[in-house]
Amino acid sequence: MNDILTSRERFGLLVIDEKPDRCNIMPLITSHAATVKGMKVRDYYTNGENMARAQIAAIDKYEHDAISIFSEVGIIAEAMGSEFEYPENDLPIQRTPALEKKDIEEIKIPSPTCDARLPVYLEAIEYAYDALGDRVPILTYIPAPFTTAMMLSDPNKFLIQTIKESSRVESIVDRSLAAAIELCYHVIDAGGLPIIVDPLASSSVVSPKTYRQYALPSERKLVDFLHRYDLDVILHICGDTSPILDVLPQTHADLISIDRVNMQQAIDKLSSAVRIIGNYDTSRLAFSTPDDIKAEVRNMVEGALHAKQGYIAATGCEVPIKAPEENVMAFVDSVKEVGWYWV
Amino acid sequence: MYQDLTPEKIGLKEWSKQFRMVGDSEIKEFKYYNNDEWGIYLSPPATFMVYGTRQLKKLKFDNSLAALRLWGFTFNESERLFRARQSGKRIIAAMGDLGTVPVIAMAFPDCIPFYPDCTWWTPFFNESTVLLDKASELGTPEASCFVRSTLAAFHKMAYFPKPDIMFASTGASCDDYSCIMQMAEEMGYELNWLEIPFRRQHRSFHMSEEHAVTDSGFKYPKRFETYLVNEYKRVWRKMEALTGTGDLKKLNASIEKNNRVRRLVNDIKDLTQTADVAPFPALEMMVIEFGNLYGYADIDEWLDILKMIKDTVADRVEKGIGILPSDAVPLAWVTPTADPLLLNIVEDLGGRVVATEYVINQALTIIEEDIEPFQALARSFMNASLIGSTEERVRQIAGSVDSGKIAGVIITNMLGCSHCAMETRLIEEKLKNVPVLAIDVPAPLGITEQLKTRITAFIEMLR
Repeated sequence: MNDILTSRERFGLLVIDEKPDRCNIMPLITSHAATVKGMKVRDYYTNGENMARAQIAAIDKYEHDAISIFSEVGIIAEAMGSEFEYPENDLPIQRTPALEKKDIEEIKIPSPTCDARLPVYLEAIEYAYDALGDRVPILTYIPAPFTTAMMLSDPNKFLIQTIKESSRVESIVDRSLAAAIELCYHVIDAGGLPIIVDPLASSSVVSPKTYRQYALPSERKLVDFLHRYDLDVILHICGDTSPILDVLPQTHADLISIDRVNMQQAIDKLSSAVRIIGNYDTSRLAFSTPDDIKAEVRNMVEGALHAKQGYIAATGCEVPIKAPEENVMAFVDSVKEVGWYWV
Repeated sequence: MYQDLTPEKIGLKEWSKQFRMVGDSEIKEFKYYNNDEWGIYLSPPATFMVYGTRQLKKLKFDNSLAALRLWGFTFNESERLFRARQSGKRIIAAMGDLGTVPVIAMAFPDCIPFYPDCTWWTPFFNESTVLLDKASELGTPEASCFVRSTLAAFHKMAYFPKPDIMFASTGASCDDYSCIMQMAEEMGYELNWLEIPFRRQHRSFHMSEEHAVTDSGFKYPKRFETYLVNEYKRVWRKMEALTGTGDLKKLNASIEKNNRVRRLVNDIKDLTQTADVAPFPALEMMVIEFGNLYGYADIDEWLDILKMIKDTVADRVEKGIGILPSDAVPLAWVTPTADPLLLNIVEDLGGRVVATEYVINQALTIIEEDIEPFQALARSFMNASLIGSTEERVRQIAGSVDSGKIAGVIITNMLGCSHCAMETRLIEEKLKNVPVLAIDVPAPLGITEQLKTRITAFIEMLR
């Protein structure tokens, strides 16, 4: 079948509880777009126009349903003083966390228009929005406060502090929340739909108790802020979130993107409250074959397509930078074969 | 509590900053269908821009809370129609008559009328050719009016839900849109046609007939009234069959409610057009006028918004403050512009709209409340802009010219609209006592510096 709707129209129907022509396809194609465009990864995440052009090239190639303005979760922390190095063909690597050099009180709320690579994001959004904004949603990934807080810190120290120094952790998270909100103001004005990503709040990283104590309240505050704008808020948490599935609706997010979670379990626990996004294993995209991918994606979509509040077919995490393009294509094609609502 | 700032027109980013001062309780206060869960609509322009309404990046808006409410409500209409259907209401598509069928539909419980026709603005607000391209693909010629975008919307079913019943006007109606409606019918939509008579000019061979005169002073054979009454009764019977109910007292109540809207809009127009300093922008005023057609799918909420706007405008008029310089050149605007940006541009270049003829005269006139309701509707409709001669259409503008209110006239002709293309020249000819600038509204994103230069030169010449 041929698409009847544009990606923009399709997503628009989903978020008002209407079934679109077929399910939205939003594999997390972020830095992989650099590979599609044939550019060095560093050129992707240090130049907004490059980032947008790569994203547009990926849309042209795969015909999926969203631009994804993103490179890595350290972007706010970097603007707050954490130092990163930029490998030519890989994502930025953290060198020195800001809190190793400064006290929390000394860390300023960054200006998205001039600090570190935040302007890269804004430039990318503006460019992509001008090019495709009438047809494709421009998703812009915002590192959640808990993740940014950890990226401001030595991770080992931070994790110990979550047990021993809760007030300090809370103040770091609060500051990170203020920075995230400031970034969101600019992202929205540029035309991007913020999607909150909190990979370091995953149960693969922290305990459910830590999640409930620090990450969840700050996610909820960020979601509530975005709800003031009447935006539909996506929350993505990488890794295993099975132990916290029950509490995820308390974030108030409208769409929850899951990774290493049994999809049926997620549907049982979440689908009456939120729309579900997920969750094809990205390692399969890197190392499997197109035929296998097609079969597995078909199974995934058939099982999730009629989730009560709606479903978006996606990968559980970012598509690997060097994933073979035919594998990504197989993912998209497979959803387009079986993901139809209007027949 | 949010306090309005000094009146001015502001851009999207300024509104986003101002929106930080709007309290959560105020956001929750305004909702359509009185629904707390999904009915809240008070959002800054940026929200709608994020969802693809790209022109909002360029437009300037009034900075009052009333205007914010107006924009939030109107841009929310597509969602509102889907929510209406989800909550069990019936969706009534009225097409082509522009103002009367919805009054009948509102007399039935939980029936929400709307005009698919209004999709013609969507390509411009979205700065997008998606709908126009699809319409061409579906068989409408590129040389037809932008209203062809409605056909694409019928195809896509993403801009409004599939209506429960559709009423389509033909006869003395927009010819391009008649074609679109026929093509929608070919797609499988079931249309109920009603015919609109042509309001013939008073000629000798009609002298023997009984005539009537509309509020606007248009003379017509009385039998047209009878004809329209029968057409409206057919609409009524269809609605009865759809809903299983039918209470003429509710039609009287619907007329009364629609008159409240019309009176409020007339008051706002009077205040805005006669004040020394323009208290409200032309763009918002166009949106306000078109609300008369159907109350943007929630007439109760629309009434409340209009009251707030009237209070805002009245307050500004009393204080002698507004959004344009006091020496702005007074203009009449004939035919609504498909591209809203033009209204902004004309104001930015020194113009001020103090009279309008937006082809919806029938929706601006008060419906008589002391006669049989179908007859009242018919008599009201006989004021329609597009069912008579050009001379009649121009008469009101000419009256304003003669009274010295207007220095110039801008006509926005729809490129590709056969009706407009023919009539624009006739209007120009008939408005001999005032300079006229006729603009062919270009396709989305088509406003050029050359066009701006023409507008600049026109306003400078008037000045």
